[in-house]
Amino acid sequence: MFGWFKKFTSPTLLRAKGVLGMNARNFHVISKYNARRLYPLVDDKVQTKALALQYGVNTPNMIGVIEHQYQVKDILKMVQDHHEFVVKPAHGSGGKGVLVIKDYTDDCFTLPSGKTMSYKELYQHISNILSGLYSLGGRYDEALVEEVVHFSDVFKDYSYHGVPDVRIIVYKGYPIMAMTRLSTAESGGRANLHQGAVGVGLDIKTGKTKKAVQHNLPLTIHPDTHADLRKIQVPLWREHLLIAAKAYEMTGLGYFGADIVLDAQKGPMMLELNARPGLAIQIANGLGLKKAIKRVDKRYPSGLTPEQRIDFILG
Amino acid sequence: MKHFFSVRLLLTVFLVLSLGFAGYSMYYKIKYWGFSLSPKQSANVWDIEAHVSFTADGSPVKVSLGIPTKNKGFKILEENVTADGYQTSKYADRIVFTAKNKTGEQNLYYKIIIFDNTWGKDKLKDKSPTAPKPPELDEQKLAQAHQILKLAGQMPGNDTVEQLINLFNQEPLAPALKSYLPVQYAPKTKIEIMQELLAVAGISARTARGLKLEEGQKITPDLMLEAYIGNAWHLYDPATAKQGLPDNFLLFQRGGKSLLDVEGGINSEVKFSLQKSITSTMNLASRRANLAEKSGWFDHTIYSLPLAQQNTLKWLSVFPIGILLVVLMRNIVGVQTMGTFTPMLIAMSLVKTGFVTGLTCFVAIILLGLMIRFIMSKLNLLLVPRISAVVIFVILIIHFLTFVGYNFDIKIAQASVFFPIIITAWVIERASITWEEDGPVNAGKELFNSLLVGIIVYFVIANDYIRHFMFVFNEFNLVILFVVMLLGTYTGYRLTELKRFAPLVKKGL
Repeated sequence: MFGWFKKFTSPTLLRAKGVLGMNARNFHVISKYNARRLYPLVDDKVQTKALALQYGVNTPNMIGVIEHQYQVKDILKMVQDHHEFVVKPAHGSGGKGVLVIKDYTDDCFTLPSGKTMSYKELYQHISNILSGLYSLGGRYDEALVEEVVHFSDVFKDYSYHGVPDVRIIVYKGYPIMAMTRLSTAESGGRANLHQGAVGVGLDIKTGKTKKAVQHNLPLTIHPDTHADLRKIQVPLWREHLLIAAKAYEMTGLGYFGADIVLDAQKGPMMLELNARPGLAIQIANGLGLKKAIKRVDKRYPSGLTPEQRIDFILG
Repeated sequence: MKHFFSVRLLLTVFLVLSLGFAGYSMYYKIKYWGFSLSPKQSANVWDIEAHVSFTADGSPVKVSLGIPTKNKGFKILEENVTADGYQTSKYADRIVFTAKNKTGEQNLYYKIIIFDNTWGKDKLKDKSPTAPKPPELDEQKLAQAHQILKLAGQMPGNDTVEQLINLFNQEPLAPALKSYLPVQYAPKTKIEIMQELLAVAGISARTARGLKLEEGQKITPDLMLEAYIGNAWHLYDPATAKQGLPDNFLLFQRGGKSLLDVEGGINSEVKFSLQKSITSTMNLASRRANLAEKSGWFDHTIYSLPLAQQNTLKWLSVFPIGILLVVLMRNIVGVQTMGTFTPMLIAMSLVKTGFVTGLTCFVAIILLGLMIRFIMSKLNLLLVPRISAVVIFVILIIHFLTFVGYNFDIKIAQASVFFPIIITAWVIERASITWEEDGPVNAGKELFNSLLVGIIVYFVIANDYIRHFMFVFNEFNLVILFVVMLLGTYTGYRLTELKRFAPLVKKGL
């Protein structure tokens, strides 16, 4: 009984630490700084991509969009100049429904895992995307076809199967907290912390490991690859921050999470934006978001360009 | 920040105002309309019909029927007489029908609608009687009477009356009593003999007639014995010796008077039929409001609507409190459920089906549905047809369960009909997707949470008192509205977050 009770902490301690709770996030931050009409800009990846292009933010190139069921078979024409491509739902989240094709022949597609997929199965997958299987609230969706990201090797030792990305929380245009999520055998190659992925808090100034947690408990080596998690240093950190900061001007959202991946040749690329980013990042960093938000409100200047803001943070 | 506080302040002001308003109307409704906090007190409305029949012989007819006197145990709401060709006149405790030259079968009806005013129970007041006249008995009888009283003194019971009744009810009868009583006697005679014996003991007693309020036809009134002890009349049941007014008992007539006197007729008879009226409390209230001359508002409230509409509103009135609970569970406790109001819908179905039956049935449908859904996921169907297929499967499962339930007399299975099919199908779909994406543990957790919140909500909305309260004092829904809105400004931590974020404040991490 008391053992169970000990798992709880007091609100006073959380407040002192500046931890942002779900209610406070929704009330004080999201409903205040994220106008509802802006949501489609980030919920629809096709729109996000168009905006990114306009603002000079690096994203994987779009090959095409499939909007209707009768267009499903057009995918072949669309990708005729590409030997590899990615199909994803425009309104998906958390990597649901993302299909990476490494190669294809006249009768089948090859996945990164080496498995093959028949044409029929691919059509079926796209069809599912269009009917809303992976979209928020099951609405009809579009399928986005884009170029494959060739992940940089930096994270190779740190991730079991899945793709590590960097999540940066941006408040009023200032990146305030960052982490990378590393998939594990337990998380089944997924990057969701509650499924057992490792969350690594990154120092906002340097991109270096601050702290690593799995299931809310600190750890120092990756459970599957045994790589030393304390030694992570995200390369091109300033570019990462800049992408995140630019997304503020791009979308007008006062608070969002930017998911950024590192391409071996093209550098950091924005994968998606999230207008309601989760709060687990606080645990990975051992820091409260509320504190960071207050700091921005009080001391950070407004009216700066993205570059100036990054300089302000780094300087 | 300023804006935030002013919203909260505004809502608090509204909350206080609505509380004041609800409080005042509660007072008003209780005082003038007779609404009560408990669902039971004013709900018992009885239609009682006395049917007098006799064969008139051609001479002037005079029928005198004992009727209930005003007493605090019951309130008479309405009186009705159906007697064609008769003149009626009413006295305090009798109604008299007169007519000239009637022949043949005669039927007179006297109908009242009463309601059970339990507050006034056991507070029967009446004039104190004069000391009982010692009955005129010969010496032998008197000696027997004294012997019987002596025997009664040895019987269990709280007082002489109870002891005497117990003696009368003893099997076999004491020889002394047996010889005192006639060979064959009517129940009325038995009470008269008791009165006689009590008079010997110096206790005033009389007969009372009443009706046990149970639905039925052709009921003869029950006889009761009333005795004056300790400056008050006490009622005794001659069958059980129990003292006091039994529950649901309408005291019809007191004192030794006859129930029915008929002049100018033969074969007279009076039979009662009782019907528990489904007339609502509110129907009653309108009459009470009229009595109190405070009916001005009443006609403009939901309580003046037809019963069917009132019942629907009653059903609706309890939801806000359920919704409040869901809000509390989600935003203050932080329980993750499937969809915002799925728990609410589960609770509503449970009310229709009954708790254990509903729960068993719901779990059975979900489990069967999940099994079928997993088989279907192999077929790789498109979303809309797939969900539609699940809906149809749920309907088939319900068919099956109802059939099984009927044939094997398992009530549980029959309850399945009441589950909202679309919601059930949706829960199955959602659970199976969560299962595939986040694993069975998370799917189970979500299902369990939804069910748990549903059960909590069920216990609130199924509670008779709460339902009654929320309907009768429906202004409190306004209070709940502002509480819910105020909760919308709660930005503190959720209970589950105290656990989730605990690692952040642990020392040494």
